[in-house]
Amino acid sequence: MLAYTVRRILVSIPVLIVSTFIVFLVVVNSGDPVANFATSRQPPPSKAAVTAFARHIHADQPAVERYWNWITGVLHGDWGPSVQPNLDIGHDLFTRFRVTVTLVAAAMLLALVMSIVFGVFSAIRQYSAADYTITFLGFLFLAMPVFWFAVLLKQAGIWFNQETGSQFLGTIGEKSPYLEVDTTWNEFTDRVGHLILPTITLALVSFASWTRYTRASMLEVLDSDYVRLARAKGLRRGRVLTRHALRTALIPLATVTALDIAIILGGAVITETIFQWHGMGEMLVQAATTLDVYRTMAWLLLSAVVVIVFNLFADLLYAVLDPRIRYD
Amino acid sequence: MRAHSSALTRGLALTAGLVLTLAACSSGGGGGSGGTKGTSAGLTSCATEGKADTCNSGTTKAGGTFTYVIEKNIQQWNVQDTNGNTFENAEALSPVLPQVYVPQPDFSVKLNTDLVTSATQTSASPQTIVYKINPKASWNDGTAITADDFVYYWRTNDGKDCPPPPASDSTQTKGCLPESTAGYDRIKSVTGSDNGKTVTVVMAKPYADWKSLFGAGYPFYPAHVAEKVSGATAGDAAHMTAAQMTQGWQYFQKNPPTKYATAGPYKMTEWVDNDHATYEPDPKWTGKKATLQRLIFKVISDATQEPIALRNNEVQGIYPQPEVDLVNQVKAIPNVTYTIGSGLTWEHFDLNLHNPVIGKYLALRQAMFTAISVKDIMAKTVAQFDPGVKQLYNHNFVPGTAGYKDVVSASGQGSGDLTKAKKYLTDAKFTGVGTALKSPDGKTVGPFNCRYTTGNQIRQSECQILQSDLANLGIKVTIKPIGAADLGTVLAGHQYDIIVFAWVASPFAISGAQQLWTTGAGGNYGGYSNKQVDSLISTAIGETDQTKAAALLNQADQIMVNDAYVLPLYQKPTFLAVQTRFVNMRNNSTNVGPPYNVGEWGLKK
Repeated sequence: MLAYTVRRILVSIPVLIVSTFIVFLVVVNSGDPVANFATSRQPPPSKAAVTAFARHIHADQPAVERYWNWITGVLHGDWGPSVQPNLDIGHDLFTRFRVTVTLVAAAMLLALVMSIVFGVFSAIRQYSAADYTITFLGFLFLAMPVFWFAVLLKQAGIWFNQETGSQFLGTIGEKSPYLEVDTTWNEFTDRVGHLILPTITLALVSFASWTRYTRASMLEVLDSDYVRLARAKGLRRGRVLTRHALRTALIPLATVTALDIAIILGGAVITETIFQWHGMGEMLVQAATTLDVYRTMAWLLLSAVVVIVFNLFADLLYAVLDPRIRYD
Repeated sequence: MRAHSSALTRGLALTAGLVLTLAACSSGGGGGSGGTKGTSAGLTSCATEGKADTCNSGTTKAGGTFTYVIEKNIQQWNVQDTNGNTFENAEALSPVLPQVYVPQPDFSVKLNTDLVTSATQTSASPQTIVYKINPKASWNDGTAITADDFVYYWRTNDGKDCPPPPASDSTQTKGCLPESTAGYDRIKSVTGSDNGKTVTVVMAKPYADWKSLFGAGYPFYPAHVAEKVSGATAGDAAHMTAAQMTQGWQYFQKNPPTKYATAGPYKMTEWVDNDHATYEPDPKWTGKKATLQRLIFKVISDATQEPIALRNNEVQGIYPQPEVDLVNQVKAIPNVTYTIGSGLTWEHFDLNLHNPVIGKYLALRQAMFTAISVKDIMAKTVAQFDPGVKQLYNHNFVPGTAGYKDVVSASGQGSGDLTKAKKYLTDAKFTGVGTALKSPDGKTVGPFNCRYTTGNQIRQSECQILQSDLANLGIKVTIKPIGAADLGTVLAGHQYDIIVFAWVASPFAISGAQQLWTTGAGGNYGGYSNKQVDSLISTAIGETDQTKAAALLNQADQIMVNDAYVLPLYQKPTFLAVQTRFVNMRNNSTNVGPPYNVGEWGLKK
């Protein structure tokens, strides 16, 4: 498996180079940040300022040369200049990555727990009212636009705060700018209060589909011979479900979870914007709207690495969970 | 069975909850009563003429935290620099850095007597201005504010003593890039007397907008800090080298005011990048003390989230660009007062004179502008949430400013007078008027494109109405959106025939006019050129009598209207909403924003 892992990592390097080069060309040609700079301020900047700006962001160099300088710079820790003054893209990227990881990890955990519980329950109560309800909700969440659901959740959060006379649930940011009583416990609860609504929003993107996977997988396993045999041998239903059926049923979910990381990162773009979390999603939106080439590329490179790593992780996990799979 | 019904109950409960939430959203809940003319309780009188500077006044009591929303992060803290010249930066620096004249909500300027007790033009030739610095005025590290601060300000902003970075400097760090050198490049000398507490500014060439110097949204930075970080002699800004001034300039770019001495009612105690700035009253401030316990400027980059944060009491004041949905949401929030005002930002249609047909035929341009009904445009867009919106009839001044004069309506432009518009064309020998317009040389006129920034529903509607109006003349118009970040590319590249966007007028209209209307000026994207206009604006800038200067500018504007280059539509509405338990916040739509009087903000007594 080690040889397989190394091979996969080596293969991913040219994939990264080719994909970033193509995207770089697309991003460079998607607009003119220099013209944007020259016209978006009032009074308009002087010609000297416009020229200096163009030089600063390397807009006076050919695209291929810019790409080469960028990719070699990244290897040395230099992520290139931003159109935003004084912005260190590398520092910004990893600060934001931590924020997004917090949100994505919490959302994935919640989505996993919910999808396993509801998926299994739905399977063992197939065609019951509960199964229909869960199925209905699953499709409802699947069809519901994230931005719309997020706004609904915010309203529900405000209602909760008003009913309880508290300020527990936050609708913007990771934490409050200040706490009247600044203790570790208060800071912890403040952060939790700000995490709940965006986590639910992001979790429901995956929950809906993962529940369907779990249900289908569980139904297939419950119908298999070894489960019937276990029941026939007199094992209790709960033991059969938890010790025998569930482990097998979760194999597809484990791989789907790892593969869905790209979808979750995509969902984070909207969720972070709505909840004003200063993570990678917000960074992409800002970079795209300001035609910030190197900032966009930093986002894409890190996201691509995450997706590649999680794809590899999914393949390896599959082999670990299913003894029939072996990598040479 | 029990499990089934339990699950079903949970499912139904969740569904019911969602439905209830939806209902709550649509009804908007109780609370804040919408008043007439777009105002409510605390800010009601702001829309009344003459009340803009005094509305929502009240006595304050000590304590309270007020969180005010700014809509962009601040990456660069030198607001005098081209890159740092952002509205948010000006807002965030208002509580901590002083300026001579402060723009007011009614677009006038007011002398900041905490900084200078007087600022007087003592001679017209050579134009001489004398500033008397308040004897108590000092930075919060104990250093007195003196003429040295004026000298440093002037020399870093005149474009000569600290020149822009040279071509070889790819880092953009070896020079000063002031947002504008206007006025400072006309100063001959700045000298101190009376122990540095009297400043005499002598102009080499007269400058009409002298009150814009050393302020008007661009505050002082402490010269002694710049001298210290650059190794220059203390108190001798007059002899700082370009390299030393650059070092100071760079220092103020990179460091938030938490790092150096400030002079305002508040001191900034914390800056969390991309999130918030925290201020506390500065005990060393020699002016009137602030009463709030804490002031926070919170970054919320998505305006649609601001009313929700206001409703959840996470913020107490917002200043977003109004839209129908947003205004309706705020109306439904209890204990919140709001006002819709007319800002300095004005919407307009521009014709691209680089287009050979549009540029060639004056009659065509006049006909196009006359056929457009601005009243119709307003009724179908902004008037839906701002019934008081009025058509703008000047390119430089807005109603309420001293020089405002209607120079447009007599021309019929923006009236939607189709008969008059058609007459322009027939008189100029155009054919196919009203069906398929052809120029006097027999060529088809158009199709022209009308461009607007994508996602801006109001501007899309404006283009659609224009399309319909010009169809009546036989001109076909296609509507072409501009990518969110591509407005600059389109303007600078002249990639439009007709475009709708907005300019921000200045309380100092005369110097602003030069940047927009004179031949080859940076903001003159449509390629307008009229020697008479150039000359009149140039004379206006050098006129020391403000009334005469305004008259000259209006004379130039009249010529520009006749040339039919830009059609002003209306002043874009501005929108301030604050909780009613706070007072003294007002809608200041100049470049300093509502924090112009932040030291007065406080809990209502």
